[in-house]
Amino acid sequence: MSIARLWHLAWRDLGRNRRRTGFTIIAVALGMALLMMTNALIAGVVDDSLQNSIMLRTGHIQLRAAGARDGELSVRWRDLLLDPGPQAAQAAALPHVTSATPVLWTSGMLASAGESVGLQVYGIDPAAPAYDRLRAALRRGQFLAADMRDGVVLGESLADTLRVDVGGQVRLTVADSAGVAREAGFIVQGVFSTGIPAFDDHAVLAPLATVQRLSDASRRASAIVIHLDDARATGEVAAALDVTGMRLQTWEQLNQQVIQTMRSASAFYVLLDAIVILIVASVIANTLLMSIFERLREIGVLLAIGMRGREVLGLMVLEAALLGAAGIVAGLAVGGAGVAYLATIGISIDRSVAGVAGDAIAISNTMYGRAVPEVFAGLALAMLAITTAAAGYPAWYAARLEPVQALRGR
Amino acid sequence: MTTTVRLERVTRRYTIGAAETRALDDVSLTIGAGEFTALVGPSGSGKTTLLQLIGCLDRPDQGVITLGDQVVTGLSADQRADLRLRSIGFVFQFFALVPVLTAFENVELPLLLAGVAAAERRARALGLLDAVGIADRAQHRPDQLSGGEQQRVAIARALAPRPLLVLADEPTANLDTANGQQAMEIMQRLNRELGTAFVFATHDPRVMHYARRIVELRDGRIVADRAAVAVA
Ligand SMILES: Nc1ncnc2c1ncn2[C@@H]1O[C@H](COP(=O)(O)OP(=O)(O)OP(=O)(O)O)[C@@H](O)[C@H]1O
Ligand SMILES: [Mg+2]
Repeated sequence: MSIARLWHLAWRDLGRNRRRTGFTIIAVALGMALLMMTNALIAGVVDDSLQNSIMLRTGHIQLRAAGARDGELSVRWRDLLLDPGPQAAQAAALPHVTSATPVLWTSGMLASAGESVGLQVYGIDPAAPAYDRLRAALRRGQFLAADMRDGVVLGESLADTLRVDVGGQVRLTVADSAGVAREAGFIVQGVFSTGIPAFDDHAVLAPLATVQRLSDASRRASAIVIHLDDARATGEVAAALDVTGMRLQTWEQLNQQVIQTMRSASAFYVLLDAIVILIVASVIANTLLMSIFERLREIGVLLAIGMRGREVLGLMVLEAALLGAAGIVAGLAVGGAGVAYLATIGISIDRSVAGVAGDAIAISNTMYGRAVPEVFAGLALAMLAITTAAAGYPAWYAARLEPVQALRGR
Repeated sequence: MTTTVRLERVTRRYTIGAAETRALDDVSLTIGAGEFTALVGPSGSGKTTLLQLIGCLDRPDQGVITLGDQVVTGLSADQRADLRLRSIGFVFQFFALVPVLTAFENVELPLLLAGVAAAERRARALGLLDAVGIADRAQHRPDQLSGGEQQRVAIARALAPRPLLVLADEPTANLDTANGQQAMEIMQRLNRELGTAFVFATHDPRVMHYARRIVELRDGRIVADRAAVAVA
C-alpha cells in the first residue's frame, strides 16, 4: 500500500477548507476535553467519597465480634467485643497501622430544648490518631478528651438543626444492652464541619467510657477500627492480625455500598462518554462526506491515474485519522487544563445535592477532579478509533465509485 | 506494427428511463503502438465513451477489449486500476490536476502509487516537466499556473509511468490557439521521442492536423478511418 506515502496529500486536503477543518478539530477537542473532565471528576468523587468514608467511618480494617451483623448498631453484648484494649494495642504496633482504636456505636436520639434528631452515636477514644481529621475539622469549641464524662461534639449542621452551640445542653437517648431506653444530659463541647453532609448531619461523638456506661456495655466495644498509611497494605496487615473469635472486614467489604453506587454512577458516565464520542464521530463523518462530495471529480482523476479503490479509502481514512489526532492533541491540552482546574479548585456543590447521594455516600461539598492518565489514554484511543471509523461510510462510498461516475461528479 | 489496443464489436448503452442510447454501437478498432490518432465526430457521437472504454474507466455492455496482450473486459476493479496506473495515461479537457499538490508532485503521483523509488521518481518527474517546458514551475500549485501550463503538467503526468498509450479527451478545448498548438506539438514530439501511442478526441480542425490517423465517429459507429498527413 502506498497510503503511507500519500500522507502529504491527506494532510494538504485538510488544509483546503481551513474553516471546516478548524471547526471539526474544535469539535473533537471539545469532546475530548469534556470527556477528560467528566472522567476526572467521577474518579475524583469516587476517590474522595471512598477516602471520606474510610477516614471518618469505616477505617481500612474493622475487627468485630464474630456474631455481629453488618450495618447493625446493636449493643447486645454478644454483638460486642469483650475487651478490645489489648487487641487494639497489638494491632497498633503493626507496620502500616497509623491508628487502631475501639469504637462503640449505637443509634440514638439527640434532643435540644426544641428539636430532636435520630442519629448514630460514636463512642470513641479521642486520643486516637484516627480522629485527627475530625479534630482539624473543628469549627468552634474543643475536641473531646477521654475524661469528659458529659461532653459531646457534633456537626455544625446538626447543631443548627438542634439550635444549640458550644456550651449548649442536649439530651441523648440510647437503647442499652437489654433494650431499655436510657437518657443522659450532655454539654456540647465542640462543633465540626467535615463538609460531608452524611457525617455532619447524623453523627454525635462522645468519649468511649461515657457511651459504654450509658448503654450498659461495660468495657465492650462494637469494633476495633484500624487505619493504615496505605490502603494497599490492607491484605498484609489483615494477615498479621490475631483475629481469634473476631470477624475481620476490609474497607472494600465495608464500603461495598459506596463502591456499588459509584459503579452504577460510572455506568451513567460511560453512557455520557458514548454519546459525546458519537456526536464527535458524526461531525467527522459529516465533514468527510462533504469533502468527498466536493471533490468527486478529483477522486475520479485519482482513480483514472490508477489509484485503487482501497487506496482512495485509505486516503480518506488517513484524513479522518489526522483530523481526529489533531483534535485529540488539542483536546488533551484543553482537557488537561480543565482537569488541573478541577483538581486544584474543584466545583462547589449545594449541600442538598451532596446530601441526596444518601448517608452511605460521603460526598463532600466541593467535588475535586483527579487526573486519571490511564483513562485519558483510553479515551484518546477510543476517540481516535471512532473518528477513524466514522470515516468508514464516506470512505467506502468514495472507494467503490466507478471512475466514470466520479469523473462526471456524481 | 504491434497492436496496443483492440476493440472487437464493442457496444456501450446508456438507459435513462425508457430511452436507450447506444453511445457506442458494435465498434471494432485497432490502435497500433506509437500511433498518433484523432477521434473526431459531432457532439454525442461517442468519442468520450470510446476513450473511457479503452482507458478501462468504464466497461462495455458487449464486445471484447484487449490492451497489449491482456483482455481487459472482465478484469476486477483493482486489476483495471493497475492497468491504468502502468499502461495508460489520461489528459482531460479540464486540466484535472490535484489542486493541493505542486506541478512536480502531480507528475510524481502515479510514480508514488506505482511504488517507484524516490530518486527515480524525482528524476523522471523533473525530466518530464523539462520536456513539456515548465521545469521552472515545478514547485507551483495548479492555481498558480496558466491553463496551458496546467495542461502541460497533465501531459507530463500522463507520461510519467511510461504508459503504452495516452488518451486525451479534447485536450485543447479549454486552451487558446497558441497554447493548444503548443500542447499538440509537445504531445507530437513526445510521441515521436518515446514511442507512446496517443489517441485524442477533438472537434478542433487545427488539432486534427497533427494526427497521422483520423477515426470518425457518428452515432456511436465508426464511419471513416483514414491515414492523414500530419503537420510536421
Ligand atoms: N452517463 C451517461 N448517461 C447517459 N447517456 C450518456 C452518458 N454519457 C454519455 N451519454 C450519451 O452517449 C452518447 C455519446 O456520448 P459521448 O460523451 O461519448 O459523446 P462525445 O462524442 O464525447 O460528445 P462531445 O463531443 O460532446 O464530448 C451521447 O448521446 C450521450 O448523451
Ligand atoms: Mg466528449
